[in-house]
Amino acid sequence: MTTAAKTILVVDDAALVRVYYRSILEEAGFRVEEALNGLEALETLLGETVDLLVVDINMPQMDGLTFLRTLRQREGPLASIPALVASTESAEEDFAAARAAGANYYLVKPIEREQLVEFARMLCGVAA
Amino acid sequence: MPLVRKPPQPTGQPIRSPAEILTGLGSASADDRWAAARAAAALPDSAAALAAALPQEADSRVREAMFTSLVRIGTRDSVAMILPMLRSNDSALRMGALDALQASVFAARELLPQLLSDPDADVRILSCELARGLPSEEASRSLCALLARESAVNVCGAAIEVLAEVGDQAALPMLTQCGQRFSHVPFLSFAIKLAMDRIRAEGDRG
Amino acid sequence: MAELPAPTEDEFRKLCEYLYRRTGMSFTEEKRYYVERRVWERMAATGSQSFASYFALLRTDTQDEIQQFVNAFTINETYFYREDYQLKCLTNDLLRERLSKKRAGDTIRIWSAACSSGEEPYSIAIWLLENWPGVDAYAVEIVGSDIDTRVLELAGSATFGKRALMRLSPELIGRYFDALPAEQWQIISQLRDSVSFTVVNLVEPQQTRAHGRFDVIFCRNVLIYFDDASRRIAAENLYENLLPGGFICLGHTESMSRISPLFEVRRFADAIVYQRPEITRP
Repeated sequence: MTTAAKTILVVDDAALVRVYYRSILEEAGFRVEEALNGLEALETLLGETVDLLVVDINMPQMDGLTFLRTLRQREGPLASIPALVASTESAEEDFAAARAAGANYYLVKPIEREQLVEFARMLCGVAA
Repeated sequence: MPLVRKPPQPTGQPIRSPAEILTGLGSASADDRWAAARAAAALPDSAAALAAALPQEADSRVREAMFTSLVRIGTRDSVAMILPMLRSNDSALRMGALDALQASVFAARELLPQLLSDPDADVRILSCELARGLPSEEASRSLCALLARESAVNVCGAAIEVLAEVGDQAALPMLTQCGQRFSHVPFLSFAIKLAMDRIRAEGDRG
Repeated sequence: MAELPAPTEDEFRKLCEYLYRRTGMSFTEEKRYYVERRVWERMAATGSQSFASYFALLRTDTQDEIQQFVNAFTINETYFYREDYQLKCLTNDLLRERLSKKRAGDTIRIWSAACSSGEEPYSIAIWLLENWPGVDAYAVEIVGSDIDTRVLELAGSATFGKRALMRLSPELIGRYFDALPAEQWQIISQLRDSVSFTVVNLVEPQQTRAHGRFDVIFCRNVLIYFDDASRRIAAENLYENLLPGGFICLGHTESMSRISPLFEVRRFADAIVYQRPEITRP
């Protein structure tokens, strides 16, 4: 019996970053959806079951922390989807702000392949 | 037939005086602050009041209206007041400022050179986005000039991201050089190759 | 003109990302053939020798090239019951929600905010009369507006050709139109009299404010043509013209996610629509 692939929603306004994560995550057996800002991510979540969010902070229209805060206020399973923040911002306040907004983990860009796969597997509950 | 036709009833009176705007911006009611923020667009002198209120504003919709009014006022002063917010620790304020600058007609051309030379790498990262507002050749040249002197990995990443859209053939040598300099950073190698593919796609066809 | 090779994968993605960023329109794989064809057409029309030179021209929006490119996808030649999934959403879901906020004797107000020659507001009227059981219990006001006074004159005359009626059954046409000579049909006078038309530039708050607040706004394939600054202003104007809890419907390739953060997204069985929040925090 094969288990269905886990779905990861990559939320980042940079097209090259989305392509980069997609290539890594698909090779590792994940299904990938993309959104280019927090608003699009919220819209996507209305129609897709997602197992993990990989979220940039600096995005137009709705930044990543506002997106996470909005999401965590929702009722039901949406509120507790694991979220990995991946951002260029690297100050202590940024980590604290992300945690307060509802992020589970924080990686500073640029992200390495092994890091992304390891965190994706861990947060999706997938064996290596 | 139950379809009716009625004379329209306008929504609210627009606020007029600077005093009314100031009072409105300080109101406890988000609806009042919204109305004041929108009315401020007609009064260039209220730019400073808008800029002062923005960092304190917790309502995202009111904040949006405040930024829009600063853009609509459209003076160099009002646009300059947005700049410091690019440095804010508040991600919503920071990105609201960037969105507003992107909507400003002259922000890209006039402010880009200083922003791309800012001592703060985080500001340089955000500023690369503004290059999208320039014609392709000009944007490509500005970003290549940045890459020539830039050592921060994420700033290069941001510049390469925009070059993938605006870059012309003249950008290829700089991108190649970047690829050599940052061969140890997997994301940059990937991004540079992809950007060059997007720029070069035309030239490669027979 | 020599046969042009198909745009590459990279070129296609680059173009789609740019158009989405610039207009909010989403072009997916299914549209690929049409996008490629449009690129060829516009390269020929602009004398562009390569995709790269066309793309650079598109980015500067020389001579309204973005509008020229996008026009092919918005089908300016409108017709009745176009994108009827939104009409279904209106009667299946949106009106029910709006009514739960209303009292007896209240009016439901619907605005067709880029009504062109009138197909959309008249479609809404006919659809409600045909499909909404509540149509006799509530007063419904339908307003159509456009920036273009010439098309508004056409809307006022309420006269249409065969092509505009192509999605309507003979029964509907017989019920709501009078046949005129030369294959023209005119909306019956009772219906004509109940839809009002007005000039509105969506970017001008003085013009939009004059029309009060609505329960539902249809604003399809208009915001895509605005630049960033105008789009912000128009979105704020439209927000003001919605009652708290009111809905706004965009064109089916458009998304608010590139246009404005003011609205919340709602997913219904028939459509995704956007909503002004019910409650504003003090």
